Amino acid sequence: MSEHIVSSYDEQLDLINSTLIKMGGLVETQLHNSLVALGDKDTAFAEEILRDDNKIDALEKEIDALTYKVIAMRQPLANDLRTVLSALSIANDLERMGDHATNIAKRVANVKINMPDTPVSEIVNMGENVQRMIKNVLDAFVQKSDTLAINAWDLDGDIDELYLSIYRDLLKTMAEDPDTITGCSHLLSIAKNIERIGDYVQNIAEDIHFITTGQALERKSEKRIKWEKV
Amino acid sequence: MKSIKIKADNLNVYYGEKQALFDVSMYMEEKQVTALIGPSGCGKSTFIRCLNRMNDVIDICKVQGKIEIDGNNIYAPSMQVEQLRERVGMVFQKPNPFPKSIFENVAYGPRIHGIAENKSDLEEIVVNSLKKAALFDEVKDRLNDAGTGLSGGQQQRLCIARAISVNPDIILMDEPCSALDPIATARIEELMGELKTEYTIIIVTHSMQQAARVSSRTGFFHLGKLVEVDKTETIFSNPSDQRTQDYITGRFG
Repeated sequence: MSEHIVSSYDEQLDLINSTLIKMGGLVETQLHNSLVALGDKDTAFAEEILRDDNKIDALEKEIDALTYKVIAMRQPLANDLRTVLSALSIANDLERMGDHATNIAKRVANVKINMPDTPVSEIVNMGENVQRMIKNVLDAFVQKSDTLAINAWDLDGDIDELYLSIYRDLLKTMAEDPDTITGCSHLLSIAKNIERIGDYVQNIAEDIHFITTGQALERKSEKRIKWEKV
Repeated sequence: MKSIKIKADNLNVYYGEKQALFDVSMYMEEKQVTALIGPSGCGKSTFIRCLNRMNDVIDICKVQGKIEIDGNNIYAPSMQVEQLRERVGMVFQKPNPFPKSIFENVAYGPRIHGIAENKSDLEEIVVNSLKKAALFDEVKDRLNDAGTGLSGGQQQRLCIARAISVNPDIILMDEPCSALDPIATARIEELMGELKTEYTIIIVTHSMQQAARVSSRTGFFHLGKLVEVDKTETIFSNPSDQRTQDYITGRFG
């Protein structure tokens, strides 16, 4: 992309971009840390993680302010307009992802009691897959690559399958040992949090597609979950 | 789709040796506003001046190709230029009222074209034209004052009243707001919205926002070529040509 004649315009757009990337990095770390705390059942670390959510929220506000300023000052058009509008939407999605990641950490203490290890490690595995999706979609954003964005989008099908399988396993565990019901209920919520993060990655991939092509992404997941069989 | 009022076909224009327009083909819809944008010297003013044969007065200017208005080639030998200009009015960048009274500025056209039968006819035309140009209320008590004594925005609306007084089908506007403040600009833009119910309007503008606000279709000219013409919304949100995108986003020009 060639540069604007007014270089301060480029600086403003670059700042929006770099702030988004920074925010994405924090979200990725937030999920990673939550998964570590969950896997290790480390409540002290989980407490620490909760405090980091503020940093993500602060960056969202920063991006909001930057985009309003660019719109008011520059009246962006075409690809610039799409970039600025999508920045608002991506920042909003990243903030939600941060909340979901933080929710995982919140539940670590509840999972610590009386819980078999197997379902926990399955969930951590699913979370690591979603973490890779975040990394991929951020790479797509940095490179403004439609192909990478669509690749990231497609990965969500696997996440939904993993979610379904974990859901079934947790139901089975609860049925076999009612003492695990409390812990498993929290794990169900955690799995749901992770699954939602995958959905937000898809949203971001759709925004990248819109920025690069100007079109809405018309795509259907090949793998559709069949909940009626659960 | 609206019916087509003006159609340019492979238009080539030369000023002496220098070619100013290259194979420009586009249509303009009836009772719609079409905006022409592009950097200075891109040919958009040359193009608009071909639509009422204003270029005829430049000796070295040579026009090839065809422009049809309502299906008739305006460069055909049988075309009478005075009649053409009666149908195609023009408003310029700088308001240029005649050094005459407000009344006479508007009455001039109908008088020389013999449109008014008598004095009361003429008065009616002047009043109606001033009303259509949204100027009447501001000047009704001083119609005999000099037109040049009005503010810039009022002068430009007087020029619009003068253009519509001969009952044209088409109004060409060559950067009509570039000498006006934002309020006067807003008044002209509002007026364009009203005028397009009766007239086909072609506007050359350097303001992207203005083109986006007032027009339904926009053409982008660059180096004498029509790079792209499309729905205004498409041009400003997702143009197909990289040069259009670079221009409207402020990357060259």
